[in-house]
This record gives sequence, structure tokens and C-alpha cells, in this order.
Amino acid sequence: MGGFGPPAGSPFANPGATGLPFAGVPQELQERVDALLETEPVHEVPPVEFSQAEWDRRPFTLWRFVGEKRAAVAVAFVLVVLETCMVTAGPFLTGEAIDRGVIPGDRGALVTIAGIYVGTVVLGTVLSTARVAWTGRVGESLMEALRIRIFSHFQRLSLNFFTAEKGGVLMTRMTSDIDSLTALFQEGLVNMFVQFLTLAIVTVVLFVVSPTLALVLFVGVLPVMLALTLWFRKASDVAFLAVRDRIADVMSDLQENLAGIRIVTATNRAKRNVVGHDNVLGEHRDANDKTAVIGAVYGPSTELLGYLAQALLLGLGGWLVSRGSLSVGELAAFFLYLTMFFSPIQQLVQLYNTYQQGRSAVRKLSELFATEPQVPEAVGAADLPQMEGAIELDHVTFGYEPAVTVLHDLTLSIAAGETVAFVGETGAGKSTVAKLVNRYYDPVEGTVRIDGHDLRDVTLASVRSQIGVVPQEPFLFAGSIRDNLAFAAVAASDDELWAAVDAVGLRDLVERQPAGLDQIIHERGSSLSSGERQLLALARAFLSQPRVLVLDEATSNLDLASETRIESALDVVLDGRTAIIIAHRLATAMRADRIAVIHDGALAELGRHDQLVALGGRYRALYDTWTSQAGVGSEVAASVPTR
Amino acid sequence: MSLTDERPDASDDDASAIDVDAPPTEFEPAPPTAHYDPPTGRVHPDSDLGWIRRMQPVVMGHKRSFAIAMAMASVALFSNVAIPAVVGSGIDEIRADGDRVSAWVVALLVLALLRAVFTFGYRSRLYKFAYAIEFDLRSLMFRHFATMSHGFYDKVQTGQLVSRANSDIRAVQMLLAFAPFMSMMMMTFVLAFVFMLTKHVLLTFVAVSTLPLVFVFGVKLRNQMFPLSWIVQGRLAEVATTVEENVTGVRVVKAFAGEERQIEQLAEQARRLRWSAVKVNDARAKYAPIMENLPRLGMALTLLYGGYLAIDGQVTVGTIITFSSYVLLLQAPFRMLGFFMIMSQRAAASAGRIFEILDTDAEITDRPGAVDLVEPEGRVDFDLVRFRYDDEDLDGGGDDGDAVGRDVLDRFDLHIHAGETVAMVGGTGSGKSTVARLLLRFYDVNDGAVRIDGHDVRDLTMTSIRHHVGMVTDEPFLFSASIADNIGYARPSATRDEIIAAASAANAHGFITDLDDGYDAVVGERGYTLSGGQRQRIAIARTLLADPAVLILDDATSAVDVRVEAEIHEAIERLAESRTTVVIAHRLSTIALADRVALIEGGRVLAFATHERLLADEPHYREVLATVVDDDETPDEEAADAEEVDA
Repeated sequence: MGGFGPPAGSPFANPGATGLPFAGVPQELQERVDALLETEPVHEVPPVEFSQAEWDRRPFTLWRFVGEKRAAVAVAFVLVVLETCMVTAGPFLTGEAIDRGVIPGDRGALVTIAGIYVGTVVLGTVLSTARVAWTGRVGESLMEALRIRIFSHFQRLSLNFFTAEKGGVLMTRMTSDIDSLTALFQEGLVNMFVQFLTLAIVTVVLFVVSPTLALVLFVGVLPVMLALTLWFRKASDVAFLAVRDRIADVMSDLQENLAGIRIVTATNRAKRNVVGHDNVLGEHRDANDKTAVIGAVYGPSTELLGYLAQALLLGLGGWLVSRGSLSVGELAAFFLYLTMFFSPIQQLVQLYNTYQQGRSAVRKLSELFATEPQVPEAVGAADLPQMEGAIELDHVTFGYEPAVTVLHDLTLSIAAGETVAFVGETGAGKSTVAKLVNRYYDPVEGTVRIDGHDLRDVTLASVRSQIGVVPQEPFLFAGSIRDNLAFAAVAASDDELWAAVDAVGLRDLVERQPAGLDQIIHERGSSLSSGERQLLALARAFLSQPRVLVLDEATSNLDLASETRIESALDVVLDGRTAIIIAHRLATAMRADRIAVIHDGALAELGRHDQLVALGGRYRALYDTWTSQAGVGSEVAASVPTR
Repeated sequence: MSLTDERPDASDDDASAIDVDAPPTEFEPAPPTAHYDPPTGRVHPDSDLGWIRRMQPVVMGHKRSFAIAMAMASVALFSNVAIPAVVGSGIDEIRADGDRVSAWVVALLVLALLRAVFTFGYRSRLYKFAYAIEFDLRSLMFRHFATMSHGFYDKVQTGQLVSRANSDIRAVQMLLAFAPFMSMMMMTFVLAFVFMLTKHVLLTFVAVSTLPLVFVFGVKLRNQMFPLSWIVQGRLAEVATTVEENVTGVRVVKAFAGEERQIEQLAEQARRLRWSAVKVNDARAKYAPIMENLPRLGMALTLLYGGYLAIDGQVTVGTIITFSSYVLLLQAPFRMLGFFMIMSQRAAASAGRIFEILDTDAEITDRPGAVDLVEPEGRVDFDLVRFRYDDEDLDGGGDDGDAVGRDVLDRFDLHIHAGETVAMVGGTGSGKSTVARLLLRFYDVNDGAVRIDGHDVRDLTMTSIRHHVGMVTDEPFLFSASIADNIGYARPSATRDEIIAAASAANAHGFITDLDDGYDAVVGERGYTLSGGQRQRIAIARTLLADPAVLILDDATSAVDVRVEAEIHEAIERLAESRTTVVIAHRLSTIALADRVALIEGGRVLAFATHERLLADEPHYREVLATVVDDDETPDEEAADAEEVDA
């Protein structure tokens, strides 16, 4: 009997699955949305239990997932069975009323049977309400738990899972896979059961009422209906996939034209691009037109089948009635059951799709939960005590992929409080050193120690919380400046926040913001310049008061003015800390106590700036290129203060 | 708005924005073959009219297919109503032990076939009609976007704009297509109702008595669901944002051991999402079962009362069956009527937003009688230019972004000889990036004039200016297309040899041929990710190929290493050779490329001379340079020669 909207597969029911950002609540609904939100209680969220090393490692299956709510599911089951019985009673009662009431002229029987009919309708409504409310609650609480579980496992996974391609796939676990499961729980499973039950009951009743009629129906009409529905599912899957691809083309063409509007205007492309866009739009329309034809074939043709069955019934039924082997009431009931017979078949075929998608989501999630982090925390690992900051790389060999070694047998000790800069060509492996110290990765061979502790023996949190990292691309979260600064130190007071802001010389910027520290930064900090973002990242690291600070090419993306500001901020921040500076510019490297030149994954040279210049090796060559390029006279450069 | 008070003779009404449907001028690249007809109707320009009236011309563009669809629909509709009556008569015939059952069976078969054929006919046409309208609306929107000035784009966030426009167009299209569908269903109702009345008046009212309630509850359901579903969507987006941030910002989360707090945050969002999802579900639980069961109640009542009447001989058993079928048939329009009403409210709001965009006129337009700039020598003059951005939210205004609400340029006076290379030097917010935008006439000055070869740019056609003035921006934008297409963006007709020549001159040929697909490698959002330096060189090649007489370069080479920077400068030097070039310089090595340097401060040209002269005469120049170059470095003549040294 369909849903509450227009027919499926029509242009009116076509949701815009374009993957576009959420554009906010439309104005006209805002008031009502606000009123609804007023009624929202303060949620008490149960405390999170998170362990890096331990989680539910049993295989994740649909059965086990739903099994957590066994009792609740049983209740839903009972409700569904009762509800379906109420719904399918109607035609039977109609037949009875005709045979026992109308034809013999028995008013009492008519009233009784019709009264029972009304009763089943009322009871059916109540049961249905209870069932929808109940399954919704059960389903949503399952989904909530699942969201937290997936996200928790994300947090356990090591960095190698978060590359550009894998990161995108990972996100779909939380979006499309969850969506598939939600669809399965909200509509799918229960509905499949309802439809299946309806079909079963109707079939049984049809065979009981008239085996001949039922047999004709099953042999003559059912196969055609099934074939048609299977065709529709396949054809519409293909067609709708094409529509999704084409609308994605439309959106990206539009978005690109707007984002690149300066180039479009500057190159006089407006007219050309209008025609180009029309062509993209036209392909979208063609794809849509295909779905239109498929939908317009399927609906009327299945309905036609239904009417053919009715015609058959009318002809055959008439003959059966005249022979006395079928009553008129039974014939009427048969007619009404017929309308209940086709819709479950259609729906089951559609729902099977939902079921398959849900199953595949379960499979992918079970793979996710079975993924062990590459950098595991030892079970029962102890915390690393308060750091002094002595770092030791002991015959470290490492590669992101087993076949490609990035660092080869690297041995280096950094004293507590010392600043060491790593220089070398792109791809030499200098950034990798930073990633090992922070235990983003574990060495393939050899050991990384801090204060004599092998990093693999201590908890991840205790290592990382004592090391501050400023990455090359400063990442800011959508939120206020305060949130971002206090990311590592939630309890920081305003004074502490301002001290950090002052340390990096950003007081001006923060004071200029209308909301001060509470100013919301746009997505990824786009309202700030890259220099300001970098300084905020530095302040964030500073606020966590780390014993060890790692600057991973933190200044390479900046213009010189910003770089200058950062360099002077560094003087304050580095004071008294162990620091590892992965440097892109020699001006930054020269400030270090020692400079390590990394070449082809090995330590080529190590020493103070002047020592290395005097040595006349790789560093000297780098230095010469730099001075000539930047136009820095050697005397000038020599006067650069070294620490 | 576009013309200042200097020219009282020209009013806005005569000025024309780019007409995207006019044939391209000699300055514009020829469009590709159009495979689809452009929309025939435009939205009615009178903003006082109701939204349906304003949409009418667009809809009327498809009136033929619409009329055919409706004609076919009426046949389908008639058979639809006739079928239950035929079935009822057939059953009565059986009861009466008549022998004319076969006649009714044949009638049923014919009607069913008729219904199937015509329903297919009208539905497929009506759906296509809806998609044609969607095409038109999207196309009209794009056409409008293509004519908008930069002031417009400064004020909007394109991602949101696209997303909102998309859902608005869909809402309008849905309603425009659904309205005829709905009217056909209402016609079905009327026809069936009249037929029922001829059988028995009171039974008719009993049978349909519950249907209005289906409508009422349908409206209630939608009314509750719509705002709720937005809340759910918002919260889904919230969760998605957290996940996305944790994936892209995973290093930060791990670096500060923030895992547990991130999970806490997500747990809270998941709880909020659950609350809203349960609310939606509760709204469904409250109304959907009632709507589902009301028609059944109608059938039970029909059985009861109809049975009574049948016992009295007033109606037949067949009539009871017919009436029951009608109840089932007619519940659909009542269900959808509620949906339709909510939909039309949404569509009206959506149409309002669409019109808001379409009614925004382009600020920068060609004045009447504007002439083409032909083979310019390349003399550029800024005559006492005063300029400010609109004081609304300016997003992504680049260097001068924080300069909203005050004059960015204030009596800016600069005169550049044809063929000269000029560097503009100044601190952040000095206004130097704005100069480029004025020269391309992305904006109009508030006072003074910008001239090319002595012509005020406002007297010239926009296309001719943009043909002769080229620009390389500081954040080079590449399109999701092949590298060849990107380089040939301004001249799509360029041969592969020309493209390779331009790429070679821009020092880009080497890395392009290193890519797997070479010049056919697709870049941009959906393709290869190129480094900043590579993008910059492709942008330079793009401009080289366009071969403009005047070139503006926003030189931000901060993201590239020393060797690449040298290559870029080499390319720039080649580019600057034969044309007027304005370089917005961020580095000393760029300044070295210029014949003269303009020192800009507070929106004004403070000094304009050779680098050496400025160093000697202008103490402020040294100060500014100190922020431009390394802090510890003393700028001297040597720096100017630095470029000579090969990397």
C-alpha cells in the first residue's frame, strides 16, 4: 500500500544524494526547530571507557550485534506477529460477513463480524504504534553504541591508516556503512519480517479458501511478477547509480566554476563554460530520463498483472461459484487478499537490497574491528614517568613499506634540553625521525628510547602527552581559539592561555577578534593566515608544557614575515626543552645546538653550524646554495646568532 | 552602481552584464558544441509577482509535453476509476448466476490494458517534464552565476551556496512536477466520488468518511517530521565533522593524546543524534499507524452499513466490494495531499531564495557604447584611485581581507610605461593585491580611474580588457581537467605544440612529462595533487599561452624550495620580456626582476623608482624590505644581482 509520499522511483521522491555539505536549517523552519530544541533534555552521557590495548575482539556479526538486545528484539517480534495478524484479518472477516450476514440476511451476525473487524483495526493501530516506537528506540540505541565503538577503534588505529586514500574509506565506515545499518534496523529487518509474514498468511488463507484459485495465481501470475520486479531492481540500480554519478559531475562543475571564478572571468570563459555546464546538465537529465522510463514501466505493468489476476479470478471464480465449490463471500475475500498479495513481493525484493547493503556494512565493520593497530600498546604497559627529555635512537631502521627503507641503521643521542636540527633533501628521511620519537611509528629494527625507556614498553598517552608537536600543516579544529589552544591542556586557565598566546606573539590577533579567545575559527582555520595558524599550533604545543618539542617543517609554508615571528617565538618556547627541529630553511637550522644532516636515510654529518661549514661536506654545499640564492653575504650569515 | 557620479548620463538600466547567450566576441574562446538546447523560458523579472507566476515562463517552455502527458493521464484516470465498478458488476453477475460474466472479464482486461499503456505514457512524460524543468532551473542559475561580479562572490561561501541552491532547485522542481500529478489524483477522487454517489449517497459518505482524517494526520506528521529531520541532518553533519576532523587531524589528536576526549565528544554527539532520531521515530509512531489504519476502518464501516443496505436490497454485494476498492484507491490522494501542502510551503521558500540570487544584478557591467580595447601597447595608469570593499562580510579577500570598511586604496597614483616591469612592494594590508583586481575590472573604483593606453577601463568592454590583461594569482587555481586543458584554459583551441611550448617556457614541461599520463594527467580536486610550485608553473604556462599585453603576477613562491623558486623566476622573466608586467613581490629575488619598484603603504604609492634609487633615498623602503626578506639580512645591491646566480 506504499508509503506516505509519491511513488518510488519518481522524480518527486528522489533524494538529493550529492555528498554536499549540510547547508543549515532553512530559515522558514528555524523557529520550529528552535522550539523543538527547547524540549531537549540535558543528556547524561555515560563515561567513556577507552583502552588502546583491549577491546571486544570477537568477530562482529549481525547476530551478535542485535543479540545484545535479545529481550527487546523478542518484544518487537511478538508485536510484529500480532500486528500482522490484525491487518490480514480484514478480507477474511469481509468474506465471513458476506457469507454469514449479508446473504442469509442475518443482521446480528453482520454486526458481530463487522464489530470484530473494527476491533482488529483499532488493536492493529495500537500494536503498530507500539511496534514502531519500540523498534525505533532499540535500533537507535544500538546505533549509538555502534558509532562510539567504531570511532573508538579509529582512535586505536595507527597513522598508516590515515593516509589520504585510506582516510576517505575509513570515514565511510562512520557514514555510509552506518547509514546502511540504520536503514536495516529502522525499516529493513522489521519490514522484511512484516512482509514475509503477510505473504505467508495470505498464501495460507488463499490455499485454504480455494486451492484451485491459489494454484492458478501461483503458477500463472507470480513468476511474471517476480521476474518483473527483479528486472526493475537491477535496471533501477544501474540507472540510479548513473544519476548519482551525473549529479556529482554537475555539482563539481558548478563548484569548480564558482571556486575558480577569478580565472573564469579573467580568461573570458563565461560563455564557453555555460555551454559546457549545459552539456553536463543534459547528461544528468538523460540519466534521469532513463529512470523515468524504468519507473513508468514497472509501476503500471505490475498493476496490470494485478488486474489480470483479478480478471482471471472473476472468470474462474464465477465458474467455481456456479459449481457451488466457492461462496460469494470467499470470492470477495479472495479479491481483497489479492491486493495484499503483490505488494509484499515487491517490497521484499526491494528490501533484500537493504538487507544486502546491511550485510556488507557488517562485513566491513567486522574487518575494521579485526584490524590491529600497527603501533600497539603493550597490555599492562606502564606510564612513562616525568620526562627529562634524553632521546636515543639506537641502530634504528625503518620503512613505511617493508620493501623501502627510509632510515637505515641510524644511531643518535640527544641530551635533555638540547636542540637538534635535522636537515637534508626532501625524501632523505628527516621527518621520519620526528615520527619515530613521537611513536607515530615503531622502528622495524633497533630501538627508540626516551630517558632510557623503550617507547614500546610504555603507554602511548604518557609518551605523546609529554611531547609537543608542531606539524608542517597546522591543523585547527572547527571551534574557538580557546578550544584549539587548550586541546592538550583542557583545564588551562585564562592566564595560562594568554601566557601561551604571548609566548608566540599573537596577543594582537586574539585581541582583534570580536570574541577574543572564544572567537570561532572557520573550518580548518581558513579565516587565519597560514602564519597565524602555525603560531596557534605552536602556542597549543607550548601550552601542553612538553618536555620535548618536535617541529616538523613547521616554518616551511610561511612567508618570511611570518617565519620571522615564529623564529622569535621559538626562542621563548624552546627554552629549557629538548627540541627536534626538522628544518627546510637553513636559517632555522642554524639556531640549533647541533645539526644532523640526513642523507639517504643515514646520518651523514653531525655537529655545530660552524663545525659543519668548516667540514666542507654536504652541509657546506647546502649552505652555499642557500646563501647565493637568498642573496645573503657570507659575512652577514656568519653573524647569525647560533645558540 | 557600476558607474560613478562622473558619468551622470549613463544609467544602470542601459548597462549590460555579460549576455551568456550572445555569440562569443573575438576575445572569447568559442564554446564547445552544445548537445542540449538551452532553456527557452526565463524567470519572470518582476519580483513583486508570486513565485508560481514568476516560474511560469520556465514551465511554459515545456507546455507541449505537459499537455500530451495530461491528455494521456485523463484516459488512465478514467480506466482507473472504471475498474472497481466493473469488478463489482462482475461479482453481482456471478451472484445472479448470470452468464454474462465473460463480458465483464473482457471489459476488465481492456480497461486494465488501457490503464497500463496510458499510465506508462503519462508518467514517463510527466517525469521527463520534471527533469526538463530541473535542467532549466540549474542552467538558468549557472548562467546567472557566470555573469556575477566579484563583489558577489566575496560575500557568499560557495560551498553553502551550491548546497543550498541544489536543494532549493530540487524543492521547486518537485513541486512543479508533483502539482499536475496531484491534480490528476484529485480528479480521480472527484470522478470516483460522483460515481459512488450515483450508487448510494449515504454509503458513499460512510465509505470516504475516514479519508479526510488521513489528510489531517498526514499534515500533522509532516509538520512534525520536517523540522525534526533537519535537526537529525544537522546532527549527522556534526558527527561527520568530528569524524572527518579526527581523520584529517589524526596527528594532532595522537600528538596530544586526545583520543579519549575525542571519543567523549563523539559520544555526546551520538547521544544528541539518538535523541533527535528517536523523536522522528516517535512522530512516525504517533501518526503513521493511524494513517495506515484509517482506510481499513472505512472499509469496516462500509462493510457494516453496506451489509445492512444489501440485506434490504438497496445495494448489491458487488457494490460493497467496489466501494471497498475505492477506499483503497482514494486513500492515496489524501495521504499525498498533506505531503503536497508541506512541499508547497517549502517550495515557496526555496523559490524565494532562488529568486534572491537571480534578482541580484551584476555590479560590473559594460556601459552602453563601450568599445573594445584593440592591440594595446600596454600603458597602465592609476589616476588617484580610491577604492573600498563593501563592508559586508568579505571572505577570502586575500592580502587585504582585513581591510574591509576602510579605503583600501586612497588616492593611489601610479603610471606604468608600456613594456615595463614594475614590482609592487608593501606590507600586509597595504592594498597591493587590490590593484590587480581593479586593473582586470573585477571591481570598479570609487573615485579616480584606471586606464589602459589612456582608456578608462569602464569605457572598454570587459571581454577585451580580460583578453589583453592576464593574471597569475598567488593561489593558483586549477580545474579538474587534464593539464593540457588547464594550460589551454584561456585558449581551448591551442594545439598540443603550443601548449608544450608554453609549458616549457614556464619550466613545467619537465615535471609534466614525468607524470604517468603527461599532459593528459587530470589534476585538481578529482585528480593528481600537484605541489604549490607545480601549480604555480602551470598557472604561468596558462597565462603565457594567453599572451596578454599586460600581465599581473601575484608572486607567492613561499611554498617552494629554492631550486623551484629559481625555475619560477626564470619563467616569470621570460613572461615579462615583451609586455607590461606588474609583479606583487613578496621576495627580494622577485623585486630583482623589475625595472622599477612601487613602494605601497596604506593604499598609496609612497615612492616609485628603481630598486637602487629607493634603497638610497627612501629609508622606509629599507624597513619594509626588512619584513620582506630575512630579518637578519641587510638588503644591498648584491641582492638585486642574486637572480643572476644559477641554482
